[in-house]
Amino acid sequence: MTPIRAVSPRGVVTFGRAVAIPVGRASVVVVIVTVALIVVAAVATLSLGRLGIPLADLPGAVFGGAEGKEAFVLERLRGPRLAVAVGTGAALGLSGALFQTVTRNPLGSPDVIGLSAGAGAGAAVVALFLPGVLPVPVGALVGAVGAMALLYVSTGTGFRNPGRLIVAGIGVTAVSTAFTQYVVYAVERDRATALTAYLNGSLAARSWEHAATIWAVLLVVAPLVVLVAGRLVIGEMGDEVAAALGAEPARTRAVSVVLSVVLSAGAVSVAGPVAFIALTAPQIARRLTGGPGPHLVSAALVGALLLVLADLAAQQSPVPGNLPVGIYTLAVGGLYLGYLLTREWRKGSL
Amino acid sequence: MVTGTGTPPREAGAKRPGPTRRPSFPLIGLIGLVAVVVLGLAVFASVAFGSRPTSISEVLAVLNGTADPGVATVVESRYPRTALGVFAGLCLAVAGTLMQGVTRNPLADPGLLGITSGAAAGIVTATAFLGASGQWAGVWWALAGALLAGLLVHVIGAAGSGAGLVRLVLAGAVVSAVLTAYVQAVTLGKPRVFDSYRYWVVGALGGRDFDVLGAVLPPAVLGLLVAVLLSPALNTLALGDESASALGANPALTRTGGLVAAVLLSTAATAAVGPIAFVGLAVPHIVRALVGVDFRLRIVFSAVVGPALLLLADVVGRLVLRPQELMVGVVTAFVGAPALLLAVRRMKGAS
Amino acid sequence: MNTPSGASGLVAEGVTISYGAVPVVRDVSLRIPDGGFTMIIGPNGCGKSTMIKAFARGLRPAGGRVMLHGRDIWSYRGREAARRVALLPQNPIAPDGISVRGLLRRGRYPHHTLLRQWSPDDDAAIGFALERTGLNDLAEAQVGELSGGQRQRAWIAMVLAQQTDLLLLDEPTTFLDIAHQYELLELCRELRDEGKTIVAVLHDLNQACRYATHLVAMRAGRIVAEGAPAEIVTPALVEEVFDLRCEIVPDPQTGTPMVVPEDRRRAAAAT
Repeated sequence: MTPIRAVSPRGVVTFGRAVAIPVGRASVVVVIVTVALIVVAAVATLSLGRLGIPLADLPGAVFGGAEGKEAFVLERLRGPRLAVAVGTGAALGLSGALFQTVTRNPLGSPDVIGLSAGAGAGAAVVALFLPGVLPVPVGALVGAVGAMALLYVSTGTGFRNPGRLIVAGIGVTAVSTAFTQYVVYAVERDRATALTAYLNGSLAARSWEHAATIWAVLLVVAPLVVLVAGRLVIGEMGDEVAAALGAEPARTRAVSVVLSVVLSAGAVSVAGPVAFIALTAPQIARRLTGGPGPHLVSAALVGALLLVLADLAAQQSPVPGNLPVGIYTLAVGGLYLGYLLTREWRKGSL
Repeated sequence: MVTGTGTPPREAGAKRPGPTRRPSFPLIGLIGLVAVVVLGLAVFASVAFGSRPTSISEVLAVLNGTADPGVATVVESRYPRTALGVFAGLCLAVAGTLMQGVTRNPLADPGLLGITSGAAAGIVTATAFLGASGQWAGVWWALAGALLAGLLVHVIGAAGSGAGLVRLVLAGAVVSAVLTAYVQAVTLGKPRVFDSYRYWVVGALGGRDFDVLGAVLPPAVLGLLVAVLLSPALNTLALGDESASALGANPALTRTGGLVAAVLLSTAATAAVGPIAFVGLAVPHIVRALVGVDFRLRIVFSAVVGPALLLLADVVGRLVLRPQELMVGVVTAFVGAPALLLAVRRMKGAS
Repeated sequence: MNTPSGASGLVAEGVTISYGAVPVVRDVSLRIPDGGFTMIIGPNGCGKSTMIKAFARGLRPAGGRVMLHGRDIWSYRGREAARRVALLPQNPIAPDGISVRGLLRRGRYPHHTLLRQWSPDDDAAIGFALERTGLNDLAEAQVGELSGGQRQRAWIAMVLAQQTDLLLLDEPTTFLDIAHQYELLELCRELRDEGKTIVAVLHDLNQACRYATHLVAMRAGRIVAEGAPAEIVTPALVEEVFDLRCEIVPDPQTGTPMVVPEDRRRAAAAT
């Protein structure tokens, strides 16, 4: 069997005769650099601060087994939190890339179609009516799936029409948000505060079970994404061209939206609705890589990097009170969107 | 993008009666009469119904000044919220009509302009750092914050000409995101601030007095004045920028003026009663179905239909959970969202 | 390329297509002549673009069938059909930042599989398409930065890279100036001479008469007449299809029918 080799000028990775996959050089560079940055951010996450494991001891603690305080930090405190951050960020980035590609809308993201708001309403139902009976994340998951079901019914076309999807998303978001705000109004202050913190998206006190949940979702969905990726690329050229090229645009879109929703719902169930990662990660990936295409792998990696960095900021921030990570992504994501906006505005392309 | 694109507006200056959907004058008069009667009934219902039951005769007695003081107190306590309902409904509906005219987008909603988050940031800043106390002392600050945010969105998003909507929505999203992050960061650390924020953000007419109305009246009056002055120009804007210019209108100026007026109006409403969804979205559609595409008529009718709708929603909210109340913001969302979802099902296949 | 011998290319059998409740194409039967240059003409809304879409699996008929080489076109797998029929729609979308070569590579999609997303034939097919459309020098240019004529050539090149025997073009000349219109039609004729079967929807009746080997006139979702332009284009047909009174004269260049609309004022004065 021929080993993996790159046919250099065209950048086609081949494996024997059966496999030949073109890979852009820019994508490879972006992937390598992003992975390296994730590693750096991860090391910083584990080693910075009062509880951090000193840099010199880190390799021993990670690969050789840790003891005492280091074991507690690594195995209970920051290790699982880091694993959740990487998995959740990747899921959100991938989810956003899928959604933006099929809706051909740079603002398209599962947040926009009401998934986060639905998750919030689900969490609120649990907090109001079933406190202590169900964990809040389960409520969020049910809420997210419920929001999607509502969207599916009201768009009537199996997620095939991007315009309808976004308009229906406005409706689902409005009703979910109103309900959540009512619950935050109606319950006593402590529960309202806890619920609000959760609804911002938080990675505090996450366990290995949370990490296992999001990574399981990723491992199940990623192969399915690979299956639709080729058709998704063709779908960028409009439904008529895609249909004529045999890429079955309607079915591809429906499958992609479902996969995107599953990824987002998984992310919401472990970390709450973290804002803006799904929206910005694909945009950043696209700008870094250049050229057309959904850049799914880059988007997932950029998403992971963004969330790890945001959580690093949340953990090490001098602001008192340990704000949830979602507030950081909201602020930074908002500023980034503003930067994009003014740049495109100067170029006169918007 | 959405249902019923309707017939193109009649060209300004065209003398012959074109095939428009505009109903005849007597019919418009009749529709207007009905709308005013409905508004009157809504005002009466708002005064008559509440979590504490009062009979019609008791209410009439209060209005005549012959009731016993206990009942009079109950009924009179409903005056401010009724006035606020009329005020907020009018502001939101006219602002929504302006937005839809300016952006030519049937989904344009004042909530997209960063106004809600600006008002929230104002309230939170005032209660957290400036020592404002009392549940509604923040209204001046809400007003300032919302105006500032609205103008900021406008400056980032709508400067220059052309297809402003995408940029406007983006700018709204940017400003909202940053302000919301600020609001959340402050409120999560300060329980007292959190309380005043969560009571405001749900959107309610109750619990305010006439002072609130006094604070928000000036910007609203100014906005309404601009709206009335602009309504003929909005008719030309509906034909597209090039045609509007050719007809002697100034599209850029009209758009700027319309947006500023919309910001003033929705800011006033939001500062007074908190964010209320769907009134600004739904009323313009209802009104267009009633009176056609002429913006002069649409603005006048919005100012009647909006208050009627909001007051009725508030009355419903008072009655469904008696003796508790459901805030009017929750009621409008729960009524408006299903209506929007139904409309989505009828949307044309266009994407 | 991989055409099963025997059965003829594209045939519509009693096709009916509706948007919503209103049928746009009613019970149309049409056999596309193999190796011909077929043009479909008719007034706006007559169903001609709809027919083209039905031939390329863009729309599924509510009644009747579209047969491709003797089999219902919907019984093929997507890429299988796309290796036989290519479509250039009216408003194709070029993804942001794509180069001409990148666009052509996407035209190779039907020839790929999940694991083989590149094949040695790709370069030959893309090279051929660039050559035939004269885009060799612009291969690395961004599609978004091309002129209208160049962009349309790039899309034609994408369709050529697909290496199908059948090309369907939906109003390919609409956004081109008159010189580029003729350039594109000449290119189509050359491709047809090289063995491709081409079907196009066209607005200009005189161009259609000059270049088509087979003309199909539609009105209100039905075929009014079909055949060689010289045989079917008469003043009566033009009036029936377009509600236009006209004179037919021979094209001074080719001798094909040329439609000269009646001058209404002169006609009024004559009566």
